[in-house]
Amino acid sequence: MISKSYNLCIKDIKSELRTRYAINALVMFILVAISVILFSIGNEKIQPELTAGLYWVVIFFSAMSGLSRAFVSEEEKGTTLTLHLIATPDTIFSGKLFFNLILTFFINIIITLLYAAFFEGFVVNNFILFLVTFIFGNIGLAISSTIIASIIAKAGSKGTLYPVLSFPILLPLILTCVQLTIFCFDGTSFDNALYEMAIVVSYDIIMVTISYLLFDFIWKE
Amino acid sequence: MKNKYVIGGFIIVLFLGIMGYLFTQSNIKYENNFIVVKSTNKTVKATGSWVKEKKYSYDAENNLFTFYIKDDKGEEMMVVYRGAMPNNFESATSVVVTGSYQQNYFYAKDILTKCPSKYQEQPNTQSSSL
Repeated sequence: MISKSYNLCIKDIKSELRTRYAINALVMFILVAISVILFSIGNEKIQPELTAGLYWVVIFFSAMSGLSRAFVSEEEKGTTLTLHLIATPDTIFSGKLFFNLILTFFINIIITLLYAAFFEGFVVNNFILFLVTFIFGNIGLAISSTIIASIIAKAGSKGTLYPVLSFPILLPLILTCVQLTIFCFDGTSFDNALYEMAIVVSYDIIMVTISYLLFDFIWKE
Repeated sequence: MKNKYVIGGFIIVLFLGIMGYLFTQSNIKYENNFIVVKSTNKTVKATGSWVKEKKYSYDAENNLFTFYIKDDKGEEMMVVYRGAMPNNFESATSVVVTGSYQQNYFYAKDILTKCPSKYQEQPNTQSSSL
């Protein structure tokens, strides 16, 4: 099962590198969003709270535009039935999840580097906390967007349905991550951020469990 | 096959419970020990009583209201509040200030005063008037 989902992930990466649909759209989105924010704040030094919020806004919307492609592309190319034949639902979900994880980490590392380079307020005082927040936040983002992408693949108006569905699902994650990022800027110790950290970790666990339980039904429809 | 759903459901319910509990916990906490308040710059609700010996002051130009509060162990701190003095502040038995401690001052976003009840029985005055 793992080797099959690994192959599926490699296949997705290859086809992504060939068309560069998601990567181009994402990099353009990130550049536009960050430069608009930079132009609008001008010379002002913005507060850490605001910086953390803006950081996660960019991450949220880049996830919106990039990660929804996972199953839509299969549907558009007409390869869904082939996937049905060669693999079980769990395998397919794992493969897509790996691909989305790689994509999320790739995008968000770019976003973080750009923020660190251009924003004065983006000074991480507690690096370990930031790293843990970043990793668990991205995992949660990737899982949720994969399962939502599979739901909308069959729907008519994919573009609008995706943000509508993902907003309530991602809201607790984004809010907690914004809070945690503010803690990182303040230099709050790891112990004081334990509650928020636990919320993010339990969010990840819930989403993984729900996704694997429900994907059977979504995929068979 | 059935087991999968039972275990999965159990995990979901368990972690939803933990998450719900933590969401209510991670809100602003009450703190009546000012040493703890002074050590973090998190937003807390500090409860204490107004130090009557040290006068409060109100700066009408900048709209700043400052006073000292102390906790039950006698630890004092200066509270700075941007806004008018709350009503019946002088008669308050205890004060709850919401805000965070930064650079030797407690910056309050909100002040709650707890006043002695107006509707308490006052047996002496009643008996004397009759």
